Amino acid sequence: MNKKPKMAIFKFTGCAGCQLEFLHLEDEFLDLLDLFDIRYWKMIKRDNDEKEWDISLVEGGISTPREIEEIKQIRKKTKFLVAFGDCAIGGCIPSIRNWTPQMEVEDYVYPDTSSIHSMKVTGIGEYVKVDEILKGCPPHRDTLIELFKSALLKIRPRLRKHSVCVECKFNDNECLLTSKKMACMGPVISAGCGAICPTLGRVCEGCFGPMSNPNAAALAEIFKDMGLNDKDIKRKFRKYAGMSPEFRMEAGH
Amino acid sequence: MDAYTIEKKDMKILLKRFQEDYKVFGPIKPGLESKFDEIKSIEQLHLDYISTVLPPKKFFHPPKEAMFSYKIEKGRFTSKEIKQNEKILIIGIHPCDVYALLKLDKLFSGDFKDPYYQNRRKNCVIVALNCVKPSEYSFCSSMNTGPFLDKGYDILLTDIGTKYLIELGTKTGEKLIEGLNLKKATKDNYHEKKRRLETSKKKIKKSMDALKISRIAQKNLHHEVWFDLGECGGVAGSLPCLSCGSCTFVCPTCYCYDVYDTVDFSLKSGTRNRELDSCQLLEYGEVAHGGNFRKDRKDRIRHWMLCKFGVAAGGSNSSCVGCGRCIRVCPSKIDITAVAKAIGGG
Repeated sequence: MNKKPKMAIFKFTGCAGCQLEFLHLEDEFLDLLDLFDIRYWKMIKRDNDEKEWDISLVEGGISTPREIEEIKQIRKKTKFLVAFGDCAIGGCIPSIRNWTPQMEVEDYVYPDTSSIHSMKVTGIGEYVKVDEILKGCPPHRDTLIELFKSALLKIRPRLRKHSVCVECKFNDNECLLTSKKMACMGPVISAGCGAICPTLGRVCEGCFGPMSNPNAAALAEIFKDMGLNDKDIKRKFRKYAGMSPEFRMEAGH
Repeated sequence: MDAYTIEKKDMKILLKRFQEDYKVFGPIKPGLESKFDEIKSIEQLHLDYISTVLPPKKFFHPPKEAMFSYKIEKGRFTSKEIKQNEKILIIGIHPCDVYALLKLDKLFSGDFKDPYYQNRRKNCVIVALNCVKPSEYSFCSSMNTGPFLDKGYDILLTDIGTKYLIELGTKTGEKLIEGLNLKKATKDNYHEKKRRLETSKKKIKKSMDALKISRIAQKNLHHEVWFDLGECGGVAGSLPCLSCGSCTFVCPTCYCYDVYDTVDFSLKSGTRNRELDSCQLLEYGEVAHGGNFRKDRKDRIRHWMLCKFGVAAGGSNSSCVGCGRCIRVCPSKIDITAVAKAIGGG
């Protein structure tokens, strides 16, 4: 076998949950260490090397000028860059603040805002070229494993981005939207979670972001017919992927 | 063949007999959103169900299955088929779903035989149940697939009040009830069955002219209906399609699947799997280098409807059985019978 591919894991504006999900691989984690050489991962390593990497997983969105600089440096040193999780893809939950004036948001948190250099939160794709995305908040461990294996085999990973409805049907679930009149985001949200929430009788919140070619306008219309008001509908689309081009209109841009 | 009757309260005798040789599956909930699952005791069996979320297709062409495992040793590939040899019996399948299985049989045993499907089918006994309570979404009578059945069963049950009429379709079915000392069916029982068929037919509200629509749809590939369904407007009070794919997964005759490998970390062994796919999903028409034959939603919804109308894939054979599941499950309330009428084949 060739030399082990060098891997790096970085975090920007996010909650570190995606990295944690990686650590939670547990059963497979030791196998992975045999296959990859993890050169940079501040969460678990004391000595980190900043040379070049074959594959970099980047968690978190970009929200300060310093982060812009850093992500550009990472891109320069990386062969294959992965946006790891919804924050890195489109800002995700931290981006909810993009709809409130910057000044107001800063005042909520900091007594003295004079040293804050924060901007609107976006995904890393706003500044650098991204080679692959792993959807989810956090991504499902199976998709991580699929990505790693594909990287070793040098083939395209099988990361399908169809609706949650697909997995919901695989589980033989009754439809929360049509049968229970619950405002489920499933028909426009990317699968990958195994439809965990709907299987437990809870609506899909949308944590995997938009599916491929979603019809967000039609779902917003369905929510309206159910009696949701405009504000609630906007909140639903803003929550995990308000910055995505697919949900922009419904999130209220 | 002879026919018999059994009191409803005595159904446990029949179930016990079935369980001697088979793992028994049946509807486990009443109502429209029932589910075929294993029946261990008679209390779990709800033959008064109206419809299920997934059709019995899931037993023969499951949403996900492993086809074979493979490994490479010293440069040589070997593979081992994963065979499913469990003997099962499904009780309570409605006529529409039996007809759907007959259509799948034809498909999977044509020029290209599908051993996985055929093997499962061979190991299964069908105890069908005539449909006396069609749902508000059904249009089986338009498709000649219900509400009552005349083929495709080993045993056929009909609810005739306090009893079930038991008709036998095959030797397997005959053997199964041998020695149970069931009462022979009388003329009155048959008369009651006929009466129930007539009442059942009257309960069906939706309709579609299957022959006419297959002829008309072919000539209306650019009808505005497809644009309304795909992009804006909707048809007959519906909203446009969401491309969620629900209609195809609950369809008892949709058979399209995707094949992919799961490789072990050793990168030297793995399994080849298949998973149901849907023509409503963007990735379905995708080919190498990002090309896509059905990039637009309107093309995808049109493709599916034409397939159900009997136009796609060579035509002449409608793959719809009128079970109405797609109408019930559609969040946008798209109704295939209304679409047929809008094109002019109703």
